[in-house]
Amino acid sequence: MPDYAPVDLTGTDLVEFELNGRTVKAPAGTMLVDACAANGVEVPIFCYEPRLGDPLGACRQCLVSVEGIPGLTTACSTPVAAEMMVDTVSEEVREAQDGILELLLENHPLDCPVCDKGGECPLQDRTFRFGPGESRMVEPKRHFPKPLKLSPQIALDRERCISCYRCVRFSQDVSEDGNLTMSERGGRSEITTFTGDSYNGRFTGNVIDLCPVGALTSIPYRFTSRPWDIQNTPSVCASCSVGCNTELTLREGEIKRVQGRDEPNWQVEEGWLCNVGRWGYGADQAPQRLRQPILRDGGETRECSLEEAVAAAGLVLAHEAHTTVLLGGDVTVEEAFIAKELAAGPLPDAQVGSAGVVGAALGPLRALPAAQLGDIDGADLVVVVGGDPANQHPVAELRLRKARRAGARIVLVGPRAQELESLGESIRTAPGNLAEGLTSAVAQIATVKRPLVVWDELDLDAEPDAAVVLATALGDNAAASQLELTSEVNGAGLRALGVAPHSRLVDQDLGGVLAVRANPGAGPGGDAWNRALDSGGPIVVIASHHSELTERATVVIPCSSHFEHEGVLVTAGQRAQRLRPGAAGPEQSAPGWEILIALSHRLGVALEYRSPRSAFAAATASAPALSGLDYDTLGDLGAEIATSPASDVNGAGAPRAHDGEGLPLVTGRSVFGGPEAHLSEGLVVTATGEEAVLHPAEAARLNVADANLITLNSPNGECTVRLRLDPGAPEGAVFAVRGVPGGTVESLLAPDRAPVNVTVNTA
Amino acid sequence: MTAEEIRAHLDPIRDQFAEERSLVLPALKFAQGEKGHLTGDDVTEVAAATNLTPAYVESIASFYDRIYLDPVGKRVVSVCVSLSCMLNGSDELLEHLCSREGVSHEGGTSADGEITVQEAQCLGACDRAPCLQVDAEETMGPVTLSEADAVADRLRAEPQPRPVLR
Repeated sequence: MPDYAPVDLTGTDLVEFELNGRTVKAPAGTMLVDACAANGVEVPIFCYEPRLGDPLGACRQCLVSVEGIPGLTTACSTPVAAEMMVDTVSEEVREAQDGILELLLENHPLDCPVCDKGGECPLQDRTFRFGPGESRMVEPKRHFPKPLKLSPQIALDRERCISCYRCVRFSQDVSEDGNLTMSERGGRSEITTFTGDSYNGRFTGNVIDLCPVGALTSIPYRFTSRPWDIQNTPSVCASCSVGCNTELTLREGEIKRVQGRDEPNWQVEEGWLCNVGRWGYGADQAPQRLRQPILRDGGETRECSLEEAVAAAGLVLAHEAHTTVLLGGDVTVEEAFIAKELAAGPLPDAQVGSAGVVGAALGPLRALPAAQLGDIDGADLVVVVGGDPANQHPVAELRLRKARRAGARIVLVGPRAQELESLGESIRTAPGNLAEGLTSAVAQIATVKRPLVVWDELDLDAEPDAAVVLATALGDNAAASQLELTSEVNGAGLRALGVAPHSRLVDQDLGGVLAVRANPGAGPGGDAWNRALDSGGPIVVIASHHSELTERATVVIPCSSHFEHEGVLVTAGQRAQRLRPGAAGPEQSAPGWEILIALSHRLGVALEYRSPRSAFAAATASAPALSGLDYDTLGDLGAEIATSPASDVNGAGAPRAHDGEGLPLVTGRSVFGGPEAHLSEGLVVTATGEEAVLHPAEAARLNVADANLITLNSPNGECTVRLRLDPGAPEGAVFAVRGVPGGTVESLLAPDRAPVNVTVNTA
Repeated sequence: MTAEEIRAHLDPIRDQFAEERSLVLPALKFAQGEKGHLTGDDVTEVAAATNLTPAYVESIASFYDRIYLDPVGKRVVSVCVSLSCMLNGSDELLEHLCSREGVSHEGGTSADGEITVQEAQCLGACDRAPCLQVDAEETMGPVTLSEADAVADRLRAEPQPRPVLR
């Protein structure tokens, strides 16, 4: 966790003050703890956390002496002023800090060797640096029955708690769920939830990172590793397109933990992770993980070696007259680039397509100044157009909440009922009427100093006229910026490489198919895809997990998951960020880029990239949007790619008609509905399934009842799903959760996600 | 106790508090008046009436010695255990009352449900240490062991005042 806030010592508003006899500088108003840290002096802290809002001053650990202030003062809540005289090392200060530590340890067990936090514990570290060598306490410490399950994933050991309130402040002031509190008082204080309920939510795992002692620990991780036998690697979360920066903990070849970084990316996640990003790594160990290459020859299915599988893949694809390369939305830039190269040369008459939507009318919006997630903080008006950040791009929710706390006006416009509507003004629009619904927001954009529009790729692709309205409004305010919440994890990267969506290919003869992390049969237009795949040639699948597609493939080659390979993803805010391997993956698997290179050798036209680094260098040379980037410039925190030049909408800005009979269908993902939540052992307790949601009045008109199975029919397919009635849902539309493994909601959609209507009947 | 009733009680006093959050204490005291303690449902209703989360309301309720989240006896006797009283023998006083009422040495409610004995932090009567307080009304001290017996006997004989202000 970042103990101290970053301080900019290069600005013009610096003041001089004296720190331990040395004259140093810091911006006026910086909290003393941060100013000291920026000048190389550590003041010990426990309750202070720069991301938790105003300092609390609960633990008293940061006592320092400031000339002119009687007694000692807490450095966490004292702002720097010019000519201040600060002493953090005098005998008086040393004694005070030592005394506070001794008091904190009064009830804290001194059994670090058996504590899960031991070795990476701020209390342990600071006791060694600033505290007493010996305890003078002879009284018994307080005892509680050993740990409590605060949630299925979080253990609470109350004996270790030092009442710093960090977790409580996270719950009250960051995720704003308000469910975690301190009960009782004084020596009896303990962290608790209402009547001992489970502490459930999207972001609850962050309290583990925040806890400066071993009181809150991760149940999937605790007691599996020791700080000296693990290796930590900075990487990026590939659960959604937010692209949170993570730290992977490796032990004995497996990912054991994912946590926020000590040095977070202040432009992206600020160190916060959602629970899916934190515990989704368990999907790598799930039974559905591909561990062995598979060959299907006639009716016979057998396992084989990697070499054999790649050879077989080369053989079957080389014999086809033409081939189709299908890429998933989360392939890395390197994988996509090498796949494109394969299609351009070694593969016979190949075409390439990726998951995602065409977004013909989104060009002008994308050409406007791109904001980073971190820019949401500084905006005075944030307009969220479409989407459902809480469910689909979770950490963006925390930024929106933070902006609201800082006084920004939040306006949400879109077809869904969503939890974040309580943050500000909410304008619900009937499907197809988004452009009209934007009128008031557009008027507000024109009148403020720093407007920022957060827009959902899929919702604006469905309503191109709204995209045009929005782009015009933003273009008129020079200070305005936009942040795209992409539907595909590496959607922006695929676009930068010029890979077009594969929806255009579904009606064609596919020939031989090479699918890389792709599973179009489970996506929009799944039925049409399955027909196309059935009538096409042999299928070669490169994937990390079993799917419907691996079941029908001729050759299945297991590849690394995103925890196991190197590559670049271009995430929200058009930010290129590096994945780094935290673990090696199954013995008979390899990184996707490596499999593709091996395949090129088998196809007789060898591609000469020996590492992801060199593939990325070639990719940047071929794609103008990526030019100037390399692994070193991306570093640990990534960099923005160039904004694409404004393109003409060319008549694509007209409203799209809804296909089919019945009510318009609005789909969206649910935060705990995705594959990680269903496959990972640590998350499966909170996993949610597919469901359809209707307003009760609408259900009465349609003669369907709550909690019953209903059948939805569109021109593209049929889906049977459980119905939930919600008076908060708008009337005049059917809402459905898509993206659940094994689910069929997506099959209702057209391959290009064109808007559809559905009929509703009791199943 | 319903959120409506609690709101009706708060409405006339709302403007006495600078922060809306501060209404939680009068709301808790009012809700407690009904049964003498608060149930989980009461906490939820208070939360609804004050626009706070149940967890937050419960944490406040648990902070105060005089807000009860578990049933208590008809009368509550609080024995001060802060410094002055402790130096003047509050340990013996508490122990005496506890064993007399047959409750654990940390306090509790007598088997007949008449009297709850509990520890209290400073009651502001250091000049009369060791002191004790009956409900939130009557503070007395210095109290000898036999005087404490007399207080307990008197409380059993007296009818319980309504509403109970604790």
